[in-house]
Amino acid sequence: MSTYQWLLALHVTGAFFLVGGSTMAGILNVVALRRDRPSEAASLLGLVRFAVPFIGIGALLTLVLGLWLVHDRDYSYGAFWVWAAVVLWVIGMALGGRGGRRQEKARELATRLAGEGDKPDDELRTVLHDRAGIAMSYGAGAAFLLVLVLMVWKPGS
Amino acid sequence: MTVASYCSTSCGTPLFVHVLGAMLLDGTLSTVLLLAIVGIRRPQPVFDRATFVVLLAGTLPSWLAMRLGGQWLVSKEHLQHLDATWLNMGFNVGDGGLIVLLVTTGLAYWATRRPGGGWPTRAVALLSALYLVALAVTWFAMAAKWG
Repeated sequence: MSTYQWLLALHVTGAFFLVGGSTMAGILNVVALRRDRPSEAASLLGLVRFAVPFIGIGALLTLVLGLWLVHDRDYSYGAFWVWAAVVLWVIGMALGGRGGRRQEKARELATRLAGEGDKPDDELRTVLHDRAGIAMSYGAGAAFLLVLVLMVWKPGS
Repeated sequence: MTVASYCSTSCGTPLFVHVLGAMLLDGTLSTVLLLAIVGIRRPQPVFDRATFVVLLAGTLPSWLAMRLGGQWLVSKEHLQHLDATWLNMGFNVGDGGLIVLLVTTGLAYWATRRPGGGWPTRAVALLSALYLVALAVTWFAMAAKWG
């Protein structure tokens, strides 16, 4: 395999880790939203920690190897699809990180309530359905989706 | 011959559908594997039900998007008669995957009827792990254009 083939295959692997891990975290959150018992919500939100390493490794591989590929293929770093993808990557990571912190607070509350009788609770329901947190998570997903659009169509190349 | 010669920006929509479907297939199936493993270790109905719902509403539609996008690409780029390792792997793992996923979904449904982390849940975990490995090797081969 040539250097280009290695770079592309590992870059794509990073994208699979990033999108796959984000999908896993999103699904676990959506399932948790539908549970009334705090112990069940806490269990599901607690599983998000298994997605985080994949998101982190995927984010690193996509950015570093993506920039290396731009150099290897003699693309311009000033091309729209390249810099727009980097900007969207930063936005996606920032929104995902902030959304994740809000979900972690929901998990902590659910864990505490599970130990105090495990009864459905309005405060937990409010925290789980926090619109800002949900918007940030969906915003991160949309940013990564747009990055994929840029990688496929390469506008401005 | 460079990799890009098979699929430049002209691939557009079919490539987007194929890759997005494959990535979501990876994400939903990883979730199924995680839920099944947790369901074995901590038998609770919520994990069995979530495993089945994710397979039915997430994994199978993702497989469909991946497979239809792939077929659309083959047709658009006239790859029908190309005998390449990466393409054959894509077809084999893609088509064989439907059978694996349907069996896995059936077993996950069975697990919701008999909760408790029994053999159907273990079989769901095993099949989803095996198919995830096959998918990972295939996406690597297809990205690198082996053969």
